[in-house]
This record gives sequence, structure tokens and C-alpha cells, in this order.
Amino acid sequence: MAATRSANPVAKAWRRIPGAWRQPLTIVGFVLVATWLLVALLAPWIAPYDPLAQSAALFQPPSAAHLLGTDELGRDVFTRLLWGARISIPLAMMLVVLAFTIGGTLGGLAGYLGGWIDELVMRGADFVFAVPTILLAMAVVAALGPGLFHAVLAVVLVSWPGHARVVRGLVRSTMQSEYVAVGRLLGSPAYRALAVDVLPNVAGPVIVLAALEMGNAILLLSALSFLGLGARPPAAEWGSMVSTGAEHFEAWWIGVFPGFAIVSIVLAFNFLGDSLRDAFDPKAIIKARGA
Amino acid sequence: MAFVLTHIVPSDPAVANLGDRASSDPVAVRLYRQHFGLDKPLPVQYLVYLGNLLHGDLGESEQSRRAVSTDLAEYIPATAELAITSMVLSCLLGITLGVIAALQRNRLTDQVLRVVSLGGMSTPQFWLALVALYVFFYLLSWVPGSGRLDAAVLPPPHLTGFFTIDSLAAGQYDVFVNSVQHLILPACVLAAFNMGLFTRFTRSAVLEVLENDYVRTARGKGLSELTVVFRHVLRAASPPILTVVGLAFGNVMTGTVLVENIFAWPGIGQYSYRSAIALDLPAIVGVMLFVAIVYILVNMVVDILYGVIDPRVRLE
Repeated sequence: MAATRSANPVAKAWRRIPGAWRQPLTIVGFVLVATWLLVALLAPWIAPYDPLAQSAALFQPPSAAHLLGTDELGRDVFTRLLWGARISIPLAMMLVVLAFTIGGTLGGLAGYLGGWIDELVMRGADFVFAVPTILLAMAVVAALGPGLFHAVLAVVLVSWPGHARVVRGLVRSTMQSEYVAVGRLLGSPAYRALAVDVLPNVAGPVIVLAALEMGNAILLLSALSFLGLGARPPAAEWGSMVSTGAEHFEAWWIGVFPGFAIVSIVLAFNFLGDSLRDAFDPKAIIKARGA
Repeated sequence: MAFVLTHIVPSDPAVANLGDRASSDPVAVRLYRQHFGLDKPLPVQYLVYLGNLLHGDLGESEQSRRAVSTDLAEYIPATAELAITSMVLSCLLGITLGVIAALQRNRLTDQVLRVVSLGGMSTPQFWLALVALYVFFYLLSWVPGSGRLDAAVLPPPHLTGFFTIDSLAAGQYDVFVNSVQHLILPACVLAAFNMGLFTRFTRSAVLEVLENDYVRTARGKGLSELTVVFRHVLRAASPPILTVVGLAFGNVMTGTVLVENIFAWPGIGQYSYRSAIALDLPAIVGVMLFVAIVYILVNMVVDILYGVIDPRVRLE
């Protein structure tokens, strides 16, 4: 149908982006992400208490004084939840940037050069794909010792192949397209083909992937913290707050609300990624990403 | 590769397993290293490991002091029962919902299903497991708490290691009911993520097929919508769905680590967590190897199924 009309699906998708941004779920996602970013920035000023300040008011259920109650040390859950955004969001961003830098570079090289470099990179990626992310991450963190920084390293180590596959696939398909061949015939150098033809075509899908990966990164980081391999107490990290809540079933508010925080931010990124993916050629990203 | 990765780490397993007091005693550390062959250079260790692997020996767990293969044999059935149940649940639900979403494209149902499926993919499994336990066990007492069976119930005679199948085979219906009650909640929690994933993929796969002329022809012939969907659409849409189902086995394994820990389910998820904490390298490598093999096998089966579904693949 419409697909036959335009030779370049990505260029077409770019034109469709404004429409995609008008989707209700995109707006919800965008507003949620923006809100959480603001919370992360402003937490010290908008949080009613000190996130680490203990008080005698232990296990207080949600009330006007403590919107989401207090935990086992009398700390305000609402305050800690707001401060949690300052841990999870910047770390996840850093992580996605790192994973993309590593994965994108390797994938780009593999796609552009081919040959044994391609083989090496893709077999490495296959290996990481074959071992469940959390097993590998757990092994790495356990080996390096628990801690947020090590958890980030572990998640980078398990998430670079996704980026590598996408970039490699896109670079290869662009390199095979006719306009790159024409450029080469006209005698333009390889780096020009990369900068002018390949990069703009890769940018769109990469943005989509970054949004989806942000969600996954937050999930995996909080899972590691939940297992006690990421953030250490008393840090106000959402995953470890849920883990504290698991020990106090009668005080459900300790664990339940941080979970909602994770769901809302991950869902927001998934809303963004999913609707933007519909705007681009969905198959390119799905195929390249593998899952 | 798994072997190298777990060995180039700076931490010392001897210290992790012996405890602080024993590790300050050089004799104990040396004996420990000799026992596990850790005193030899790394390439030698690797060759020894590979040699043992050839006859199915995965080494000895530094934690349980048993062969890793014995440990795995004990824990795998529990995980397999949980993982397979959750895969069946998520496939049934996910594919059905995905077909519905595609047929109702851009209508309200589609939008609601989009939120539900993305919600499933956005919810941390450890949190979902806790909330489920809180609601259905703590508040409502609809299901028993953790473990595979109540403490007072003896496991059925060992046949497959799947308590549901073993208890039925032995005719112990009360044990069967008890094991299903224990199984249902963790399996549902584990299924949530993949359910969302399958819904999304089925939707886009089905949407692509729906545009084809033969679907219009089938409808034009006056076939019922159900026949069109099952005979024509789903068959053509199944290769990409199968691919995702194969890849999703990795997600299940990730999920079992968290879910098994919360539900005290004695499977390899819990085992691998304990091993990782104790830096039990033979155990970690053993679990990784096993899981990677399962992953490769599952994806081989998927490749074979392509041929069954699509005659064009068979010809090549």
C-alpha cells in the first residue's frame, strides 16, 4: 500500500513524527518523563523531609504529615521516592549513553567494515544474548562487589549488543541502498557517505531504541538493587526500597509506592518508544533488535 | 567464554566462601585452593574444565560441596515446571490479545490493550511478585505462600520432577491440587512481561498479514472471521511470533531469578542467585552453560518449526 510510494521509509517516518507526537499515549509518556525529570532536578527543594533523616515515627501509614507514610526507620517514604528519581534516572541515562557508545561504535564498525570484525562483534553479541541478562549482570556484580557503579557497569555489559545489532543492521541496509552506490560512483569518499547518507538514517531508530532501553535499564538496575547487588542502604533507591518493603508486609506502603514510581517512569519511556516506533518503519527496529 | 568472564574478576572465591576468619589463615586458604584446583594457572584450569565437561562433569560447587550437575539436576525440574507453565500462559494470553488488538486496530480496544501490554512490560517482576503475594496470600489467603508444596505435604514419588505431573501419575490428587495452588501465582507473575511482549508482536505481525490480498479473498469467499483468522492470518503471522517466543525464554530465566527468590521456589533461579552471592564460580558457569544450551535448543526448535509452517523454508 503506502509503503511502495516512498523509496526511503525513514525519511517518510521523519515527516510523520509530528503526527506520532499527537498520539495520546505519546503525550502521556512525554508528560510523565518530563515530570520525573523535573522531580529529579528539584527533589531537594520539593521534598518535604530529608531522605535520610530518621525519626521516632516508625511505620506510620500514609497521612497528611507523611503523604506515603514512613518506613522502618521513620524516614518519609514520599521524600525518599522523590529522591529516588535522582538515582535511577541519571544512572539509566548514563547507562544508555554508554551502552550506545560502545554498542553503536562496534555495530557501526561491524556493519561498515564487514569481514572478521563483523564476525567477532556479532558472535560476542550472540553470546550476551544467549545468557539471560540478570544472570550475567549478577555474576559481574557479585564478582566486582555490590554497588551502584558496578551494577551500572554490569547493565552496560549486557545491553550493548542491542544497540550494536540495530546500528549494524541499519548501516548495512543503508550501505546497500542505491543512493549510497550512486554517491560512490560519483566519487565521494567513504566518510562522506557515512556522514551524509548513513547517519541521518540511523538517527531515528536509535532514538526509539534509546527510549525503550531507558525503560529496560531502569528495570534491570532496580532489580539488581532489589537483590542487594546495586544501591546500598541507606540510599533512597526504588529497588532497594521495595526490598525493604518486602520485609514488612503489614506496612505495605513502604514497598508498594516505590514500585509505582518504577512502573510509571518505565511505562512512560515505553509509551514514547512504542509510538515513535510506529512512526518509523517498525520492522527495521524489531528485526535488528531481535526482541 | 563464560569461563573466562567469571575468572577475570578481581574477587577471590576463597575469601568469599571461607569467611573472614578462615581466610586470614593461609593454610586453610591454600588447602581450599588445592581442593578446587585454583592454585594452577588459568589456562590449565580451563583445559581441566573442558576435559571434565566432555564427560558431563561441570565441576564441584564450592558452596554446596556437591557436583554442580547434581545440584542442577535437583533444581532444574522446579524451574522448568514454573517456566513452562508461565510460557504457556503468556503465549495463550499474549497471542489472543494480540490478534484482538490487530483486528480492532486503532479502536478503543486496541488502545486499552496497548496500555495493558506495555504495562506488563513495564512492571518490575520483583514488585509484581510482592504485590501479588500481599494481595492473594496475605490479604485474601486465596493461595498458599511460598515453596512448591505446603510444609506438611510430602513431594510425590520422583518421576519427572514436575510435582504436578508426578502427583497425577501417582494418583495423589490432593498433592496435585496443592502443587497447582503453589504454582499458579508465581507462574502468572512470571508470565506478565512476556504476555505484553507477545501481544505487541502478534499485533504487528497480524496487521502485516491482514493487508494481503489473500485475506481479502478469504473474506470475499464468505468464510467466517474465525476461519480467516485461524486458517489464513495466524499461520502466515506465526514465524515472527515464534521468533519472539524463542527469544523470550531468556526473559523467563531473568524472571525466575527474581520470582524464585521471592516465592522461595527451589529452582535454578534461586540457586544462581545464591551462587553469585557466594562467588561459587563452578555453579555460576554451570547455570550459564545450561541456560545457554536451552536457549540455543529452543531457538533451533523454532527454526525447525519455520519449515513446518512455511513450505518455502523447507525447499531451501
